[in-house]
Amino acid sequence: MEEQDRSCEYLSGVSPVWCPGCGYYGNLSALVEAFADLRLPTEELALISGIGCASRLPYFVKAYGFHSIHGRALPIAQGVKTANPELTVVVVGGDGDGLAIGGGHLPHVARNNVDLTYLLFNNAIYGMTKGQFSPTTMLFPITKTSPFGLFGEAVNPSALAIVYGASFVARGFSVRKEHLKDLIIQGMQHRGFSFIEVLSSCSSFNTTDMNVARIIKNIQMVPEDHNPEDEIAALRLATDKEKINLGVLVRNQRPTLGDRFQDMQKKAKAKAPEAKAQAAMEDLLAQFA
Amino acid sequence: MHPDLTLRIAGESGEGVITIGETLCKIAAREGLHIVTFRTFPAEIKGGACMIQVRLSEKNISYHGERVDFLVGLNQEALDENLPDLKDHGVLLCDTECDLPEERLGRTVYKVPFDRIATREIGSRISKNIVVLGTISYLLSLPKKRIEGFITEKFARKGKTVLNHNLDALQKGFDFAERNLGKKDPYKFPKGNEQKMLLMTGNEAIALGAVAAGMRYFFGYPITPASEIMEWLAVHLPKLGGTVLQTEDEISAICSVAGASWAGGRSMTSTSGPGLSLMSETIGLLSMAEIPAVIVDSQRGGPSTGMPTKTEQSDLFLALYGSHGDATRVVMAPTSVPDCFRVTALAFDLAEKYQLPVIVLVDQALSARLETVEPRLVKRAPLASRLTAKPNDSSPFTRYKIGESAVSPAALPGTVGGEHMVTGMEHDEKGNFACDEETHTAMTVKRFRKLSAVEDDPLTHELCNRFGDEEAEIGIISWGSSAGPVEEAVSIAKNLGIQVQAIIPKILNPLPHQELKAFLDKVKRVIVPELNFLGQLASLLRSTYRIPTIGLTKVKGVPLEPTEIVKKIVETAETLNVRSMKHYGRAG
Repeated sequence: MEEQDRSCEYLSGVSPVWCPGCGYYGNLSALVEAFADLRLPTEELALISGIGCASRLPYFVKAYGFHSIHGRALPIAQGVKTANPELTVVVVGGDGDGLAIGGGHLPHVARNNVDLTYLLFNNAIYGMTKGQFSPTTMLFPITKTSPFGLFGEAVNPSALAIVYGASFVARGFSVRKEHLKDLIIQGMQHRGFSFIEVLSSCSSFNTTDMNVARIIKNIQMVPEDHNPEDEIAALRLATDKEKINLGVLVRNQRPTLGDRFQDMQKKAKAKAPEAKAQAAMEDLLAQFA
Repeated sequence: MHPDLTLRIAGESGEGVITIGETLCKIAAREGLHIVTFRTFPAEIKGGACMIQVRLSEKNISYHGERVDFLVGLNQEALDENLPDLKDHGVLLCDTECDLPEERLGRTVYKVPFDRIATREIGSRISKNIVVLGTISYLLSLPKKRIEGFITEKFARKGKTVLNHNLDALQKGFDFAERNLGKKDPYKFPKGNEQKMLLMTGNEAIALGAVAAGMRYFFGYPITPASEIMEWLAVHLPKLGGTVLQTEDEISAICSVAGASWAGGRSMTSTSGPGLSLMSETIGLLSMAEIPAVIVDSQRGGPSTGMPTKTEQSDLFLALYGSHGDATRVVMAPTSVPDCFRVTALAFDLAEKYQLPVIVLVDQALSARLETVEPRLVKRAPLASRLTAKPNDSSPFTRYKIGESAVSPAALPGTVGGEHMVTGMEHDEKGNFACDEETHTAMTVKRFRKLSAVEDDPLTHELCNRFGDEEAEIGIISWGSSAGPVEEAVSIAKNLGIQVQAIIPKILNPLPHQELKAFLDKVKRVIVPELNFLGQLASLLRSTYRIPTIGLTKVKGVPLEPTEIVKKIVETAETLNVRSMKHYGRAG
């Protein structure tokens, strides 16, 4: 009961714009409850998003929020974390934002292991523009822009994140709020890039792909004996044709981008012993003499 | 005694042409001479024709010189291509093997078997350029000790054998000249005032200016001709605790800049036209969300991939208007290497103070040119900073407060009680999305009021370079690196008895109206020389001031030459004399 009350402190008071029945309500609850459990000060929380239904989330949360442009939340978050490593950086976006227009950034933020948590709400449709197919649309081929069927195969977000080298990959489901909250907590506690795919139902434009009844029938939890450092095993679970595996797929430790920056600065300073900025500026001018 | 000397070394990429030029520059800078250079880059990675032109002067200069006094041709092809640019009384130095056209016979020509000396006597073909340097030092009475000192500095790291090879090559080139060439021309290395000058490229000055202004976060994507800015910073910025990251594309670069800047860090990116095109959408976001950023565009021949190694000034429209909607930004354009430092540093002050993107336009020729800079000109501290909110300033925090000042305090992430939204959507004072009629109008006005404030800010005063005869009826308005040739042209015209005055605004948005209007009140004709086809500055001036302009455009991938401008001045002077004033309105 006490925990419930605390999560309200993370709500901004702005009412969500999502449709009744949208899976994102559950995701928002799980997120603010995770913040409450972690007792994060709201001023140290940077919540960054692109464009789409999911990207509206920062307005509803009490934090430093940045609602940016379509597909670009990840590089913006990379810049935020670089300039202020003290901040807890969380990125929220949908499947179109993150895998269509912004798909080029995911591999690089993953391989650089930028220390942030990325929640990709996968509802397999473009909701904000009212019903066009997305890169994850699979079982609902007739959309407003594919009246005669889809043009390509659906991508698998978790599998992509694994292949791109994300150091933490998990899959949750909007309906399983407690489980999702736990994944978010684990992801935020992980040092490095945490990718969490959240299967989320769209109640207005694609009730097939993320059909709650169907997903509930097909889900299973990642087996307890799964080794999250084994990326091949993780890939097998992520791409399982029979079952939808929920849970932590990958978790490994390696230096973050911030660690590498520190290392770079240490090496550079070793070459230029002057620690003071003014002395270093003089040193920079000497090479032009 | 020639106080002003223009040398050109031409050869094939890989022959050490640039090393010769840079060595001469380094020595001259230490002598206290003023230097402006121009160099070409072959489009190929290896091979291809290349040249470096070095102008040395006892006085301050702003242009690399049109025709050359002293030409060094390292092979037949380079000789044939560059000979037309040699002055009639100029000196030619070339390899013994080279054939000379008839008209050169009887003029001052020195032939030296550079190839043979290098391969047979030194046993190292690649030391040919140092042999050439030895000969040049004899012919121009260069202080040989200084060259030896410089070569020792340059090659000491590579071990004794390499160093001795090069010192030997220098000596052999000098000795051959002393024994076999009688000095037949009056050219000498000018004498400096011993006040040591710094020598740097435009790109280096930009990087240095950014560092001096407190920039600590750089994100960029490699692109010719801007890459050297990132490369220089990659080596030096981490020493100051700063960060340089090569991103996956220009969109990621500018978005990372947006994020780092929002978090409170002074941040920048540098690119060329194709990159600026990709960044356009984010420039709109920076404008809308009111986030500072500095973007340097080193322009090259366009559109599309265009001519990556050639110069042009054709991104002005993109810088002024690129991005959808009414997007605010400041656009600046330095004219010289010292200016690259000054204007870039100022760009950070304006970006931070007014919370908006500032685009700095340079071009390939300015980015790559080596020029001397007085040491006092590259000392600077930040002059303005971002207006930030104290903890618990207001509840909830009002990020976009519309008040007396167009600039509202920003709460940096981490500030207690400052939680708020920034957004690319139209928003109310709290940062919540709003699309009602009043809000969009009020917020658009708020954003544009900042540009008026920039114009009134003393920081942006003295950003016009005005020169020439203040009573002249012929006026020239130009921008960026074209300022150099304009300055030369004005003084050539003066010698021809034609009075001209010129003004070079270094800020192009907002335009410095006070200075430009005062200038336009004085002149009857306005010539606008620039390196693009459309006449982009001329178009801006016509639409802003409703004046006719006389365009002088060039799209050859190389800088304007003073004589091209003088020709236009002469033509204009003739029309002024023969036509009555009623034709004034038709000049454009």
